[in-house]
Amino acid sequence: MKKSLLLSSVSGALAGLLMLGNVATSADLKIGIMVPTTGSEATYGKDMENAINLAAAEINKAGGVLGQKIVTMTGDAACDPQQATSAASKLVSADVTAVVGGYCSGATMPTMKIYGDANIPMVIPAANSTKLIDINQGNAFQINSTGFDQVKTAVGLFKAKGIKKLAIVHQGDGYSEDLAKLTREKWTAMGNEVVAYEVVNKGEQDQSALVTRVKSKAPDAVFWTAYYADGAMVIKQLRQGGYRNLIAVGDGSNSPKLLEIAGKAAEGIYCFSNPTVEYLPAAKSFHTNYKATYKQEPDAYAALSYDGMKLMADAITRAGSTDKAAIIKALAATKEFTGIAGPISFTDKNTLARSNFVILVAKDGKWLLNK
Amino acid sequence: MVPSTNTTSTDTSGQENPGGLSGWLQPQKNRMFILMTLAATAMFIPLVSNNYGLEVMTNVWFYVVLCLGLNIVVGYAGLLDLGYAAFFAVGAYTTGILTSQFGVNFWLTIPVAVCVSACAGFIIGGPTLRLRSDYLAIVTLGFGEIVRLIARNLEITGGASGLIGIERPSIFGFELSQIVHFYYVFLFLAILACFVSYRLQHSRLGRAWQYVREDEDAAEAMGINRVAVKLYAYVIGAIFGGVAGCFFAAKMTAISPETFMFQQSVLILLGVVLGGMGKIPGVIIGAFALVLFPEVFRDLGSMRMLVFAIVMLIIMLYRPEGIWPAKKS
Amino acid sequence: MSIQDILLQQLANGLILGSFYALVALGYTMVYGIIKLLNFAHGDLYMLGSFVGFIILSFLSDYIGSGWAGILCTMVLSMIVVGFLGVLIQRIAYVPMLSAPRLSILITALAVSMVLYNTVMAFTDGQYLAFKTDLGFEGVELGNVFVTYTQLTLVGASISLMVVLQLFVHKTLYGKAMRAIAIDQDACRLMGINVNKIIALTFFIGTSLAAAAGIMAGTYYGSIHFFMGFVIGLKAFTAAVIGGIGSIPGAMLGGLLLGLLESFGTQIPFIGTEWKDVFSFGILILLLVFKPTGILGKTEIERM
Repeated sequence: MKKSLLLSSVSGALAGLLMLGNVATSADLKIGIMVPTTGSEATYGKDMENAINLAAAEINKAGGVLGQKIVTMTGDAACDPQQATSAASKLVSADVTAVVGGYCSGATMPTMKIYGDANIPMVIPAANSTKLIDINQGNAFQINSTGFDQVKTAVGLFKAKGIKKLAIVHQGDGYSEDLAKLTREKWTAMGNEVVAYEVVNKGEQDQSALVTRVKSKAPDAVFWTAYYADGAMVIKQLRQGGYRNLIAVGDGSNSPKLLEIAGKAAEGIYCFSNPTVEYLPAAKSFHTNYKATYKQEPDAYAALSYDGMKLMADAITRAGSTDKAAIIKALAATKEFTGIAGPISFTDKNTLARSNFVILVAKDGKWLLNK
Repeated sequence: MVPSTNTTSTDTSGQENPGGLSGWLQPQKNRMFILMTLAATAMFIPLVSNNYGLEVMTNVWFYVVLCLGLNIVVGYAGLLDLGYAAFFAVGAYTTGILTSQFGVNFWLTIPVAVCVSACAGFIIGGPTLRLRSDYLAIVTLGFGEIVRLIARNLEITGGASGLIGIERPSIFGFELSQIVHFYYVFLFLAILACFVSYRLQHSRLGRAWQYVREDEDAAEAMGINRVAVKLYAYVIGAIFGGVAGCFFAAKMTAISPETFMFQQSVLILLGVVLGGMGKIPGVIIGAFALVLFPEVFRDLGSMRMLVFAIVMLIIMLYRPEGIWPAKKS
Repeated sequence: MSIQDILLQQLANGLILGSFYALVALGYTMVYGIIKLLNFAHGDLYMLGSFVGFIILSFLSDYIGSGWAGILCTMVLSMIVVGFLGVLIQRIAYVPMLSAPRLSILITALAVSMVLYNTVMAFTDGQYLAFKTDLGFEGVELGNVFVTYTQLTLVGASISLMVVLQLFVHKTLYGKAMRAIAIDQDACRLMGINVNKIIALTFFIGTSLAAAAGIMAGTYYGSIHFFMGFVIGLKAFTAAVIGGIGSIPGAMLGGLLLGLLESFGTQIPFIGTEWKDVFSFGILILLLVFKPTGILGKTEIERM
């Protein structure tokens, strides 16, 4: 009795699962959003989802694309490779025409194979590990500047500040290790010295041993290449431990939360960042719309995500059909598309043609554009 | 997988007593019928399912293999293992490194992965056998973390970004590239794992595990080599994990240390205990629950895992031996 | 900095970190000692402690500010609140499981841990919260070793909590009952000890110590997060095992030892920070291979 009950419940669940995603709708244009909406990176993901949906709503209000209304559908990548592959298959099975999304590089990588095999056009607004370039099958387009551009910006700042000895700290994940490695290569190739190259374990709170180690090497600057949450603690403890020289952080740390958590320890640190909403004159109306719709401030990748959706719609219009190969061709041919985060054109590797990195500096608990 | 596990089971199967079998024939027939129906259903799923359903079901078969492997250590031999993901990592990285950096054919990496993961099982099994179960928990946990950190830190394993561009295998010139191909591969692996587990359970070794699990001292008094028997459990369990890891690497084409965190080990252990330790159908149900539950409730968003945890807690409170526990003899 | 200064500074770092580990490890060890349960949810109670503290402090700061007075009141209040939560968890999840197989109760503990952190995640949307206090960076310089007043106070607080606990266990009747139950529960019942009450008391104390550590972490590190209990739970578990699980002085010793291992581990030439945890876990495994019961653990024959 029990067994048959169990069996039937399992098969019921299975049947339910097979039905899921089969709910096909009429002549709407389906576009997938792949961002982490659960897990530790959910805040960024939800913010991206909001921005993309806002763009879609605006496009629909203006009459849609090729006369079709855009319907979005979100797959939760959860910043985890396994969950991301299943989210990607879900989107592919739902027969989406195109995908906008990709936040965590590590989770985005295995999905690119799935979208690539299905030849689905994809615009990646955030993920920017340089490894993405190698596995791109030609269907994906990165509209965030890559790690190479960030390193260029970073090294430029260090040079301008007369730094000699650099310490680099990353967090042991794909994105921050990639950035740390590239920076080390570039910095030593320029004949300078990297005196410390350290790793912080994600989620570990006490960094005093690291601080002592870094301090004993007497670096002129410390470059934190990973995310804001652990970054705030590292910065706080570096300052607490008596380190007084320059601190710089990468684009994963561009968050007001970093300043809030680190408090006065964060004063005067530098941040390399893709352009965020508050520094973009073209994003004024987006900023007000976003705040009005979602009752919160747009976060770091909102502007790029919004641009990603707009770019996709533009490419579909230019392609003149919802044929996937035609859309990919149109995306590749993009010439100076005016996004709110800056103009978009692509290199032959489908990355952004010109670096959009800016340097921010923390002043009185706020990020300001470094002049 | 074939060489080492099969020898253990064929060695001992001849010694089984055929006399009591006739009484079992009737229910056995029934059981065969149920099994055939289930297998046939599994075979035909790709005809009705979309890619998403297939992806999820492939994942289910994958976890069936892992859970059955861990079940040998935990369910049969009664040893706690909180670092099982390490063996899975060893298999995945062996295939990943050999195919992407040395251009070795995928199928040739499997025997290598079997050897390497057996060695890993031996290394962790050997020195820890004297330990009590709770200490075993922390040692296996530590071992799992060490393996993940080594994978994260070394150059050859691709560091934190992991390995990309792992070759997809082909059979007789036919490349396994679609999800439906992998569905059948993992289904085959799961059936193979069931078969091997079944044979092991009813072998001399399986009975030795049971003795050791129930009463170690009495087992030793009966002439069972306690240390060897426990080591076998670790090594065979490790091989299951290693082989699953090989195919995982081939399916994902990219692997990174994040996949092999402590949470992964816990997840696999959950599948084993939730379904019913030591009983093959129980473990399979555990693996199903593990994968299907979060997928079916995907729409709950951030509450999904909370609901999963609460359901798990309730199951443990009302069925502490698992959903479908092994009968006590 | 000379090598001597570096080592001295790392010694200070290790002792400070170790006292945190010890405080959390105590809860592990006490619960294990009395009902042989590895409470995997212990790290999450530490996390819960810091969140309850965060809520209480945000109320209190309007009246007594968020300086030392506010933090002290917060600590006492949330130790009580979270302590009762610990007892509640024990009643709901662990009491019905006491006769179940060992592994099932372990999985139950894992499930409790998942329920706790997922609940907090749902309420906080997965966000990091800034734990704001008025504490500064001022400190004393002893030679070339620099320690902030905050660090000194926190170490002082954890040491005094441990001393109080040691006195409680060895000088009071309740403590005596706890030690007796750890040896033989049935005999205790026959002697008229209210075993359930004492077990609940053990959970209360163990949990409130974790909560105290959680609040200290919040004030010192400045941010709290639903998953913050995971790493420290793992480390405290390690510390408890190094010291010999079930032994209270063992947990303190294990905590300090692990703290020192980690901070000196970062300083070993050619190894560096990325190998720090491999080093600690490696030492742990080696230690257990040669001394299977931990440093202060008692040898006992086990029947599963």
